[in-house]
Amino acid sequence: MENQNVIELRHVSKSFDGFFIEDFSLDVKKGFVTGFIGGNGVGKSTTIKMIMNLLQPDSGSVSVFGLDYENHEKEIKQRIGFVFDESVFYENLTLAELKEIVKRAYVKWDDSLFYDYVNKFNLPLNKKIKTFSKGMAIKASLTIALSHHAELIVMDEPTSGLDPIFRRELLEILHQLLQDGDTTIFFSTHITTDLDSIADYITFIHDGEHIFTKDLYQIEEEYAIVKGGLELLDQDTEQEFIATRKTAYGFEALTSNKRKAEEVFGEMALIEAPTLEDIMYYTKKGAVPHVQLNT
Amino acid sequence: MYNLIRKDLVLQSKMIIGLMIGLCVYLFLDVSSLWVGVVFSIAVAMNAVTIDEKSSVHILLNSLPYTRKEIVSSKYIVVLLLTVMVSAAIYVGNLAIHGEFTSLKNLLFMIAIAVTAISVMLPFCYKFKSSYLVTASIVAFGLYLLVVSFFIQDLNDRIRAFVEFLLTMQSTGAYVAFVASIMILYVCSGLVSFRIYKNKAF
Amino acid sequence: MKIIISNQSKTPIYEQIHTQIKEQIISNDLKPGHHLPSMRQLAKDLNVSLITSKRAYEELEKNGFIYSVVGKGSFVSDQNEEMIKEGKMKGIEEQLLAAIQNSKDIGISLKELQELLTILYKEED
Repeated sequence: MENQNVIELRHVSKSFDGFFIEDFSLDVKKGFVTGFIGGNGVGKSTTIKMIMNLLQPDSGSVSVFGLDYENHEKEIKQRIGFVFDESVFYENLTLAELKEIVKRAYVKWDDSLFYDYVNKFNLPLNKKIKTFSKGMAIKASLTIALSHHAELIVMDEPTSGLDPIFRRELLEILHQLLQDGDTTIFFSTHITTDLDSIADYITFIHDGEHIFTKDLYQIEEEYAIVKGGLELLDQDTEQEFIATRKTAYGFEALTSNKRKAEEVFGEMALIEAPTLEDIMYYTKKGAVPHVQLNT
Repeated sequence: MYNLIRKDLVLQSKMIIGLMIGLCVYLFLDVSSLWVGVVFSIAVAMNAVTIDEKSSVHILLNSLPYTRKEIVSSKYIVVLLLTVMVSAAIYVGNLAIHGEFTSLKNLLFMIAIAVTAISVMLPFCYKFKSSYLVTASIVAFGLYLLVVSFFIQDLNDRIRAFVEFLLTMQSTGAYVAFVASIMILYVCSGLVSFRIYKNKAF
Repeated sequence: MKIIISNQSKTPIYEQIHTQIKEQIISNDLKPGHHLPSMRQLAKDLNVSLITSKRAYEELEKNGFIYSVVGKGSFVSDQNEEMIKEGKMKGIEEQLLAAIQNSKDIGISLKELQELLTILYKEED
């Protein structure tokens, strides 16, 4: 049961507006939380839109719950709850009016659940949505997303614009959703600290390329930050690194082969666990060697 | 599908009431009800398009369990429904204000013109933005003037004659053919819009 | 059951959970047959990811401290004396290794260390 994939992207390619994703494959495991990280404009939103069928890939396939959009679009979307980073609602409606429109779309809509969240989030039912603050708008999105017993929650940057208190509350709500074992959560973020206490798997994308999907411990076991004096660096050792940052005092580098780094440097260098931000930073740095040479 | 139609009517209810009041004022002023009807039908249709025009709304509709086919066809049904409502309002309005029965032929003709115009406008709006429609109509009008002044100088007369012909048509068969061709045009427009919308990115 | 997690510690969180539950089983604070919370419940209560609690339970199961029944959850296994002893021995080994490493760092010889150990061992009595 636990190894089922809820989302499967296979060899997906998509190009538009001078941006492209090529041969992109992705699995999102059922019953777990997958955090989707990457810098701005590397294809996170595009990927999410392909998962939601807002964009169709030029080639390759997208399946959700093992179903394809060609024949099962409504069935799939009945089972998804979505939160986007922009407000996608009719701005001139109140939350109560919006609910009346949205609830009719869902077979499993649950009014009592809706009012639970409205109370929990302190949302006004009779104020126009355009008067909502960013935080309130996201809470409203979440309320709508969570009120129809969705099995898959897809969120694009749900925590941006939220204060730290609500961010923590959100994580608690997500933990609660996971209790039944059937709910899967996939969300993009660039606040990587959100991921520590909730994400089981991390999917990292850079420049339209899927760098990895690993669980947090795998990352800790494979990746490492190596710090040491410049005398340790030569062409061979430097090649082992994804990217290196050199200063007059020493170097700092990211490796995806922690064991080898330990063998090579042993006690001579400091080997530490990287943060997700370290991995993002060095991967980006490593991907543009030419620029690095020129600066 | 029904939900999408219902949604459009709910969202536009205030607008529709306002338009109906405006319609009565025009009828009271005794302006040609045929042209008032055409103008109001198009206005209502445009409103139906603009409420859903923001890309964020398309994201919402397409994330809800609806297919793109349903989204487009519901819009076409709503617009047709609203056009029929406008003509019904004209009929009732004329009866109430002037105590006269509007000829069904006139109403049918009004609907035909409105539907033809809308058939052109809707695919345009799905392809571009409705705000470009003004530009497009100015360009179209310019082209029309150009054609009239340089190529077919009696175009105005020909159109007038065609309209006369349509309005004086007597045989039921001709009417059926006329209505059918308008409906076919509308359905074709729907198919074009769907093709445009099917692969649209939001 | 008591579990306290340090976010500052270098020890991975799953290991912290694993160690603490193991210790409570060895010390018999958690009796054989005790029903442990579900992985998902534990993750929620400790505010850690599911993969963390899952991994902690997997390690415990691998080392024979707990067993799981499909659909029912995880339970503390019957601990045989030997296994407890073995578990404790491992702990002692680890601590001694740390002491040896520290001694080497400051140049204490094996003989000196042995003497120290003997003195300390006898003092305890």
